[in-house]
Amino acid sequence: MRIVATDTGGTFTDLAAFDAQAGTVVYSKSLTTYGDFVKGVISAAEVARVDLAPAGLFKHGTTLVINALIQRTGAKTALVMTRGFRDVLEIGRGNRPEPFNLNYSRHATLVPRELRFEVAERTSGTGEPLLAPNLDDLDVLADRLRGEGVEAVAVSFLNAYLQPRHEEQVVARLRERLPGVFVTCGSELSREWYEYERTATCAANAYVGPQVTGYLHVLREQLGAHGFAGRIFLMGSNGGVLGLEEAGRGPLALVESGPVGGCIGAAAYAGALGLGKVIAFDMGGTTAKCAVVEDGAFDVKSVYHVGGYERGFPIRGAVLDIVEVGAGGGSIAHVDGQGGLRVGPRSAGSTPGPAAYGRGGTEPTITDANLILGRIDAASFLGGTMKLDPALAHHAMQARVAVALGYEGADGLDRLADGIVSIAAVTMAGAIKKVTVEKGLDPRDYVLFAFGGGGPLHAVELARQLSIPEVIVPPEPGNFSALGMLLSDYRVDRSSTFVREFNEANIASALELSDSLKQGITEEIRAESSTAAIEYQHYFEIRYRGQVHSIRTQVGPEVTADALRSLFEQLYRRRYGHADARAALELVSVTTVGLGTMDKPDLGSLARFEGSDRSASPSKRSVYFPGAGRLETAVHARRLLPRGFAAHGPALVEEYGSTTLVGPGDRFEVGVLGELRIRLAAREGGQ
Amino acid sequence: MNEVARMQELEPIDAVQLEIIRQLLQSIPDEVETDLTRTAFSPLIYEYKDYAVGIVDVKGRLIAQSRGGIPIFLANALGLAVLDGVAMYADEGIGAGDVIITNHAGTLGQHLNNVVMFAPVMDRGDAGRIVAFMAILAHWTDVGGRYVGSSASNDTTEIFQEGIQFRSVKLRRGGLPVAETYRMIEYNTRFPAMVLGDVEAQLAGCVKGAALFEALIGKFGATRLLDAISTLWARSEAAARKAVAAMPDGVYRAASFLDNDGIELDRRIECPVTVRIEGERFIVDFSAISPQVRGPFNSGRDGGGIASARIAFKYLTTPDEPANEGSFAPLEVILPDGKFLSASATAPMARYSAPLGTVVDTIIHAIEEAAPMAIAAGHHASMGSHRFQGRNPGTGQLFSHLDTALGGWGGSHRCDGSGPFKTMAHGDTLDVPVEVQEAMYGLHLERIEFRQDSGGPGKHRGGLGLIKVYAIKHPVKLTLTFERNGCPPWGVRGGSAGTPNHVEVQRAGEAGCARFLKVNDLALLPGDRVIIYTGGGGGFGPASERDAAAIALDVRRGYVSEEAARTLYSNDRPG
Repeated sequence: MRIVATDTGGTFTDLAAFDAQAGTVVYSKSLTTYGDFVKGVISAAEVARVDLAPAGLFKHGTTLVINALIQRTGAKTALVMTRGFRDVLEIGRGNRPEPFNLNYSRHATLVPRELRFEVAERTSGTGEPLLAPNLDDLDVLADRLRGEGVEAVAVSFLNAYLQPRHEEQVVARLRERLPGVFVTCGSELSREWYEYERTATCAANAYVGPQVTGYLHVLREQLGAHGFAGRIFLMGSNGGVLGLEEAGRGPLALVESGPVGGCIGAAAYAGALGLGKVIAFDMGGTTAKCAVVEDGAFDVKSVYHVGGYERGFPIRGAVLDIVEVGAGGGSIAHVDGQGGLRVGPRSAGSTPGPAAYGRGGTEPTITDANLILGRIDAASFLGGTMKLDPALAHHAMQARVAVALGYEGADGLDRLADGIVSIAAVTMAGAIKKVTVEKGLDPRDYVLFAFGGGGPLHAVELARQLSIPEVIVPPEPGNFSALGMLLSDYRVDRSSTFVREFNEANIASALELSDSLKQGITEEIRAESSTAAIEYQHYFEIRYRGQVHSIRTQVGPEVTADALRSLFEQLYRRRYGHADARAALELVSVTTVGLGTMDKPDLGSLARFEGSDRSASPSKRSVYFPGAGRLETAVHARRLLPRGFAAHGPALVEEYGSTTLVGPGDRFEVGVLGELRIRLAAREGGQ
Repeated sequence: MNEVARMQELEPIDAVQLEIIRQLLQSIPDEVETDLTRTAFSPLIYEYKDYAVGIVDVKGRLIAQSRGGIPIFLANALGLAVLDGVAMYADEGIGAGDVIITNHAGTLGQHLNNVVMFAPVMDRGDAGRIVAFMAILAHWTDVGGRYVGSSASNDTTEIFQEGIQFRSVKLRRGGLPVAETYRMIEYNTRFPAMVLGDVEAQLAGCVKGAALFEALIGKFGATRLLDAISTLWARSEAAARKAVAAMPDGVYRAASFLDNDGIELDRRIECPVTVRIEGERFIVDFSAISPQVRGPFNSGRDGGGIASARIAFKYLTTPDEPANEGSFAPLEVILPDGKFLSASATAPMARYSAPLGTVVDTIIHAIEEAAPMAIAAGHHASMGSHRFQGRNPGTGQLFSHLDTALGGWGGSHRCDGSGPFKTMAHGDTLDVPVEVQEAMYGLHLERIEFRQDSGGPGKHRGGLGLIKVYAIKHPVKLTLTFERNGCPPWGVRGGSAGTPNHVEVQRAGEAGCARFLKVNDLALLPGDRVIIYTGGGGGFGPASERDAAAIALDVRRGYVSEEAARTLYSNDRPG
């Protein structure tokens, strides 16, 4: 069995391939090829000398969907709505998240008003059909849509979350009348109430539909042309893979296809290392992301904003609960209009990139600060393929920030660069607090699991700020997203709104609903994958009657109202510090998750080790540490460190695509799976 | 001595540490706010965002305020409440674990639903010295009075008809609940479970915020922290002064009016405003506005005049950063006692917020000549509250559904007017989904769509208002509070006015419609229709200068009718 995972990112297409017979894993990177993404995928396989012919599974993550939505490069899309409600998409919820901006507006809608059509149909607020759509009207509409040359149609009716029949009738008729046009409806994607959110979801699914189905077709053809005859799976935003058919019907499920690989990897390592509580932390070129993994599972949320909460639009569907902040290697340090020092969220990106790249960037970035501090090496950045120029970094820092803020001399520049890194760490710590403290979780109980190009460089300081005692850097942190995909399972999440009083009878009905969701999930997984074992998880969203925010509470098959209530109260108390034993509860919705287990590599085989005792003697470099100043610091090549190797910081551990920084007094060792484990020295205070 | 001068006397603080403190300070109210919106029982808090979360110093000065609450509380209701509490408890004192509430109209100048709760932040290293207060204002669903919801009135004539007043009363003393205060709350509201639930949420936020601030004191020391705060104030002040200095000195005027006070329906509430810009001073003069009115459209000096001036000032000077005490230093307000924005402590104030969108808009309009790039044309400006009360036909349960209007905003130098949004006094306020209204209350909506031709013509057209139609399926009572019908949203720089707000009620089997702006408990029967027309924003610049392609697109999209495009946007139209 051979499993190949590829991840098409903004700059690189990463590959990880596992050969079960040989027990080996190979990794490669190639440049992402805009215009023809499949080319980059094939070329990554060629670089790694991976023969696709014997491969049984091909898992693929792509930024295609999120890019199409953000850059507005999707299909010409029409929206069909209940008569009287075609403006729902443009009216939204009427809120202004930027309260003092006189010119505030949201990003333009995916479907402009001239392509929004109405059908005379109606379902009541209790799910009763009041007026059925007239099929002759639909034929007129179909002609009109054809005349407009639309490539995709989204159908979204009021109250369809209760009763999808009208949507289904209209979709069937339009598919029949408009061959070759991508037709989708809201109830197919979400059975939850709130018409704006569901309509926006449906419109987005239609908008990316033709492009994604086209892409999947090319992917299958091209892989076939290279001899691949196995099954193709796509990375879903819910933290599992889905099949080609499913991805073609609901391409919006790929919206956060990229970042989930790392979380799956973190969950797998946490499980293998027996760590119950882990924070997955990924820092790249423009942003840092984090998510909580508990007992090998991560939280999934049902509302996600494409383009951000302030200006973007919501989509419903299971998306891994990741918090993202604008702090990455390219984040720019600058002096604001009031004379204050700010870091990010503006980023130099990959072009022009940090000043040290020598591609015309003149503003200092976090990468420049790291170079000034000696934390990264000018010659060996990205394995020496990208030469950095320290003089450019120094000049940018001096001219743009240091002079204005009065930091003088070499020591001043060190202090400033260190301060910039600390400010970025405060921003990232804020993101980690959002996934922990804001949910009633104490970060000190967790291990910080760091990956991405910048994660291992900043993790120790971040852990120190949050009083997290241990940091783990997995093998291949720079390729970790593709590696995580190798470890993914098939996953389907289904939810249905079910607002009822909390009592035994309604709990029984909710369990029946879970069971019907489970059947649908089983059919899908059986149809799409050859997996033997399927695991199910059932959740009810529960809240105090009158509150709007609910808590996802896991339920077993034989649950009683009392047991469920006490579980809810326990979660509520953990989250908010108090709970009310007398207040009435309410069921809000039912969610069922199915996990189809897939073949995957043994984690022990994923680390590279090429060294011997003789070759492990480190070089030295001067690195700045806050409080201690410049220290001669050991620089280790990670591939030469054997399992069981241990030493005290200060130290740097370098590898292709990433560098791990260990502070003075901290102790690190290479663990059983080749992971770096760093125990932080106890120290007074944070910062 | 102003903050800029004072900053020069402070020990200079390291730029890195200052930025770290700034981020950590702002994260406190933001984190508490997240909790509050999730644990509150009232949609007025979790969807409408009718709250303010902030930290104030011992002199009541604003240190940091959460980003999500509505702008109306920028008058520092939090600081005023704290100052009153400190004065009221001068003898007994305020200690660790104490929590105080107030909704006193004479202090806050708002309707009595708005209750501020606050807790002291102690410096544990300094024998329990109070360094600051964590304070949260939240709209309580009902505090008694004549109408369900307390503030759902168009015709109360004294504050005493609008609910109970708690003037600086301890809710907790030394960490323990004060049982008699809880009883007073419980037996003076129609919805004790909901209100007490919200009290819990508000209390948890005060306690948590105070603990978070105390942790910061532990980390940086009170002196260093307060020095950093002074520096941040001074910087915000300097930015605001710079923005004012960029406006040419002069005396600028604009006038508007509100339709009526709900009681004397033919009498307008006049709102002429003068703004004087003198160097770095921005002086808002309300001397000529109408006196206190009989109906509930009054506000106190801070809740009304000062709040409006601060909101307008923020829109015009430092819109991009969260507010703190320094943001408003250049602003001065001239406002004699006894006006409708500086009413007495006993005046009715149920609808205190209804005029404020208009007042803010008028101040912005006044400086049209001074800062044409910074302003926008008038917006619909009406709270447009429409409340349905009745029994859910399915469950038989009583319900009260409150919604407010979305309308068009004015065009600006930069772009067409946007929207539909609520008013300038609102922010991240969410409208209630149709599916929720239909499932929870058995209401039935026939349509919600853009109101063609409602945006004021201009080079940059005003944003459109909406038409929202309710088909009544079971008996309900309707209360409406709409404004700004007589004085439509104005155009600026040669642009034209938008179409104003009004509501029509069409009775079953009758041909005509009755028009309403304000009405209390109008009984509706099955077959009746309520048609809400919300206003469009004003246009910016002459319509004759509008880009032909933009006009064609407006027609294609149905924002503008062909006829209006021909007549209102033609090059040779008169005037």
